[in-house]
Amino acid sequence: MLKTAILAALCVFVCFGGNWLWGQTMIERPLVVGMITGLIFGDIRTGIMMGASLEAIFMGAVDIGGALSAEPVTATVLATTFSIILNVNQKAALAIAVPIGVFAAFISMFMKNVVMNIFAPVVDKVAASDNQKGLIWTHFGMWFLNYFVFSLVTFFSILAGAKPVQHLVSAIPQNLMAGLSATGGLLPAVGFAILMRMLWSKKLSPFYFLGFILTAYLQLPSVAVAAIGIIIVVLQWQRDKQIMDIENKQVALKSQSAVVTNTNANEMEQEEEDFFS
Amino acid sequence: MKLTKNVSPEDREMINSIFWRSFTVFASRAGATKAHAPGFMYSILPAINRYYKDDKKAQAEALSRHTTWYNITQNVGTFVMGLVASMEKKNSEDPDFDTDSIVALKTSLMGPLSGIGDSIFWGVLRVIAAGIGISLASQGSIFGPILFLIIYNVPAILTRYYLTYMGFTLGDTFISDMYKSGSMQLLNKAASTLGLMMIGCMTASMVTFKSKLSIPITGGKPILIQTYLDQLWKGLVPLVVTLGCYWLLSKKVNVNWILLGVLVLAIVLGLLGVV
Repeated sequence: MLKTAILAALCVFVCFGGNWLWGQTMIERPLVVGMITGLIFGDIRTGIMMGASLEAIFMGAVDIGGALSAEPVTATVLATTFSIILNVNQKAALAIAVPIGVFAAFISMFMKNVVMNIFAPVVDKVAASDNQKGLIWTHFGMWFLNYFVFSLVTFFSILAGAKPVQHLVSAIPQNLMAGLSATGGLLPAVGFAILMRMLWSKKLSPFYFLGFILTAYLQLPSVAVAAIGIIIVVLQWQRDKQIMDIENKQVALKSQSAVVTNTNANEMEQEEEDFFS
Repeated sequence: MKLTKNVSPEDREMINSIFWRSFTVFASRAGATKAHAPGFMYSILPAINRYYKDDKKAQAEALSRHTTWYNITQNVGTFVMGLVASMEKKNSEDPDFDTDSIVALKTSLMGPLSGIGDSIFWGVLRVIAAGIGISLASQGSIFGPILFLIIYNVPAILTRYYLTYMGFTLGDTFISDMYKSGSMQLLNKAASTLGLMMIGCMTASMVTFKSKLSIPITGGKPILIQTYLDQLWKGLVPLVVTLGCYWLLSKKVNVNWILLGVLVLAIVLGLLGVV
């Protein structure tokens, strides 16, 4: 189990740390993490399929506006490891992954926002003394420390938690298991809701339902829906651009005619005054 | 592209260096007060070293300026890096230059740039990439994760590259011009439209619910509740649950409570024998 724990911790370090060391290239998303974990534990197919299910659940796990959402890397590595090494039912492993993700997000935030505060004065110091080598060491040293410590969570979870989890899963009654399986189906709703918060407006909301209907009733694959979406966006853009140009022209015309009417009004006033005098 | 051609070889070398360094910008996080300041400082070192070549004191001053809180969506953040490089250049040439304006401009751009960056890269591009990736990966195909990475990263890295140049050459007038001309508004609308359609598509395909409840009929086949639900509206439960979560979120309920709430709901349904 020690070897499994080390390998799983390595997966977390490579995917999570690597993602942030190299441009947030999305290698921390469950789709990729599942594949890499599967590759390391010798069952890439299970890894990819677990990754697909977890991606749907954690798709909306984005820290927007400071709200703490679940951390997908630890969750994916642990769920995939449990599923491959301990032969835990895939759907049950998914359900276990969610509380783990929430817990891991808490530790991650604690590391980044509390522990790493120690280094804030160091950053000020290297800047004030123009110690550029020091800055580079601080920058990359902090990276290593943060993700090394964080991957220990996975290490100890596997080391201590594998046996209890196995016992727990084998003791789950059938009804509860059905419920756990159902969570895998319903949880992505939360993720999509978070994404909708980012994009939703009353005027654009019909497009959400259009996407839904195209898939639910016409069974179109996602590539087709994306293509239809792009066509709509292009048409919409052209129309909006036209309207915008017309409006701009009108504004320009108005400001011109405003000058003209002003002089007209003056003449009118003049005439009226003449009349009444 | 025209943008990169009009730049002198020395400038180009510096901008490219900033571009490559920008990949590490979020590697460290110096607590809640500085966030990704060290990464930003590391990324613009080429500019600082170039414009304050032999002046250690000016270098230290420039670095100290940039120890303030920094956080922008990575792929659009390079615009600010290019912009800061051009402003540091002006500062090194003009002794009366107000250095506070560098930090002020940088800070003021974080909100709008992240707003547009988050919705385009996180809300749309990643969602489309993941949607395509998931549909392949759920059948166990390795093309799932690979396509996901390609679809996301090619546009993301190109944006990162060109925006570094644009920040340096077009400078601070560009963003305000975008807002004034209304193209920022159009971009936002386009991103939201496409994003919402994809989320609708994924609500239908990835949020799943199947009831096994049935009403027994004496002397006939039992009626399955799920068939009724499907006749009423396909994917009724997933749609209602998703909209319910959205409603709770807009009422400022913590995400984790909603996650746990859905978890409990599903387990209770399981215990009751509904699913």
